[in-house]
Amino acid sequence: MSLRFHWSLSQVGDKFRRANATADMKGLFSLETQVEFCRAAEQSGIESLLMAFGFTRPDPMALSAALGMQTDKIKFMIACRPGVMSPTVFVQQINTVSALTNGRVHINIVTGHSPHELRYYGDFLEHDQRYERTDEFLGVCRAFWGCEGEVNFRGKHYEVQNGRLNTPFVSSERSSPEIFLGGNSELAEQLAIKHAHCLWRFADTPGNLSSRVPRITESGIEVGLLVSIMVRPTREAAVRDAYAMVQSLAARQPQAFGKQFAQKTDSVAYRSTLELAEKSESDWLTPWLWTGAIPHLGAPAIALVGGPEEIASALMEYKRVGISQFLFMGWPDLDEMRYFGQEVLPLVREKEQTLDMVQQVRA
Amino acid sequence: MSSATPGNRPLRFHWRLPYAGETSALAMADQSSAAAIGLPDPDLQTSFCRCAEESGIDSLLVDFGFAKPDPMLLAAILGRATKKIKFILAYRSGLFSPTMFVQQINTLSALIQGRILLNIVAGYSPEEQRAYGDFLSHDERYERTDEFLAVCRSFWEGDGEVNYSGKHYRIEKGSLKTPFAAPERKFPEIIIGGGSIAAQQLAIRQGTCWMQLADAPEKIQQSCSAALAKGIEAGLRVCLIARPTREEALQAAQALIAENDYSRKLAGGREFFARTDSVSFKKAYRLGDTEWLTPTLWTGAVRVQGPTAIALVGSPEEVASAILDYKTIGISQFILSGWPKLDEMAYFGRAVLPIIRQKEQEMACETGVAQQAAAEAGYKN
Repeated sequence: MSLRFHWSLSQVGDKFRRANATADMKGLFSLETQVEFCRAAEQSGIESLLMAFGFTRPDPMALSAALGMQTDKIKFMIACRPGVMSPTVFVQQINTVSALTNGRVHINIVTGHSPHELRYYGDFLEHDQRYERTDEFLGVCRAFWGCEGEVNFRGKHYEVQNGRLNTPFVSSERSSPEIFLGGNSELAEQLAIKHAHCLWRFADTPGNLSSRVPRITESGIEVGLLVSIMVRPTREAAVRDAYAMVQSLAARQPQAFGKQFAQKTDSVAYRSTLELAEKSESDWLTPWLWTGAIPHLGAPAIALVGGPEEIASALMEYKRVGISQFLFMGWPDLDEMRYFGQEVLPLVREKEQTLDMVQQVRA
Repeated sequence: MSSATPGNRPLRFHWRLPYAGETSALAMADQSSAAAIGLPDPDLQTSFCRCAEESGIDSLLVDFGFAKPDPMLLAAILGRATKKIKFILAYRSGLFSPTMFVQQINTLSALIQGRILLNIVAGYSPEEQRAYGDFLSHDERYERTDEFLAVCRSFWEGDGEVNYSGKHYRIEKGSLKTPFAAPERKFPEIIIGGGSIAAQQLAIRQGTCWMQLADAPEKIQQSCSAALAKGIEAGLRVCLIARPTREEALQAAQALIAENDYSRKLAGGREFFARTDSVSFKKAYRLGDTEWLTPTLWTGAVRVQGPTAIALVGSPEEVASAILDYKTIGISQFILSGWPKLDEMAYFGRAVLPIIRQKEQEMACETGVAQQAAAEAGYKN
């Protein structure tokens, strides 16, 4: 299986993702800029774009429908938090988007990482209860997608009686969307194994991942990495740009956002990645895995930094420990994505071919 | 918007958006089984939108229900393909967090230049609501809808954080960055449908227009006086069967119920009415006892086509007069539908609407003359 690559659309037009205080973000968007980004993603070998969910952003579902009408190939990985809508109406909306885009929809289930923001939406559950509700939410959704007859469900958080929907999931490839689920906690792993096709987790070294990934993939689901990326023609140039970015962030934003955020979050993934950055003696967990931006930009800023050859090799190292998908974010996104498509992806595909041949010979 | 003198403003006409496979009359007994309805048909529906624009229609009603695609997403793509037509999105409370709902509506407003009205309904079928995880009773649903809209309107009209603590919703320091984007409005017009006192109260508290099923003008005058007195607009949901002559219109009406399968459809209708807990739908069924409520207002199709099939039947001149009779008593908006859907709307735009606009001008002139006369009389005194 070839590695699959996804990119985040969430911060199009924002040069330094997360560098602005969320309070300053406008929530306004230019559809034209986003259409251009989608087209660039199609040309860069990116399979889907993450449509993130949050109070600073437009609604991912409506935006995906609009973008889907102006694109041909790119898929939309629509983020959803259980607790903001009835699972029945969620399935109805996802199915409607699928019918409008010929199934170009994945779903990314997030249980939420900021209790403060969840309360904006009227959601007051604790971390573990949220996982319990997500479990029920996906149980209902999958019943709608998997069954021929009526859906009946009786849980602690949801009760659905004789549920049916007339709009099916429309796709030439599948009868239900691929489900991605993010998280580093034990609960997240169990939930992904139960309901999802792929677990997203933040990047770590291949060595650290090699002890955790196999037991998840052996359960029949994939594991993907959520990671930032900064590739330049040479490692020196990439490292120079990485540090220059941190310096400019420090000048603009004296209080480290990442640390502030860590105090407010109850997400195991966000906290553990920040700890990883704090505990290590240098900013470099490997010669290409950099934690230097995490104090400023938070856990998603753990980054692959280097030249094309190095980064392609790094991706292959991850592939060897069982990682099969990547969700990238770049600084700035559009240029980084184009450069990835032009310089890194061809090397990855080449290396994958070689690997396939070696494995065939061995077999 | 809801000025005290709606009588001087032109009436606004909305039409119900048809779904794929729904081009001719479709009895209620058949609706839930028509698989085609579940699939959006962007080409067909876009051409219906364009025809509505050409026919002088203000907005298209996009229904919510288990048998149909999601209205918001359908409106997103139809709105992107059109320039002028607006969309009335029908939703119930109990489906979304109000914060989430506002976020979706605001996002849609940015995509289609704010061409959105809301039709918030409390729901009419306990069974369908349970399929969405909603187990509240009729009156509790109104209570929740009130809270839902209160939260929504705080997001739209307030300047700071939204805090709300009710029986059904609790919001703490709520904030959204995507605003409702429309020329001249901070929030969408909110049409509240429903025939009960609870619905009327809800419209007065949280809405901009109260929409009822049609009845004889004297009945409507009575029922909507409270809403009008509070500065809320009043609207009617009614079907239209207009033909070049009254005879042809009567024939078309009779043909609707003379189709094959009448008794099966009647049984389907009876079952539907037995299950609903909607006050206005039950009332519509009772109105079916009297076939003609006025010389133009016909209930003959209600028991087979559904509660919204109370119809104005007649020649363009007759139908226009009937509509203006409602205007005289304070009605300012209509949600119309008809069979066959496209032809009826195009005929309305071509044959009925010009008469209405002509008469509205005459009425405005008369009012103007009368006002001038009154002013002059005052001056002389």
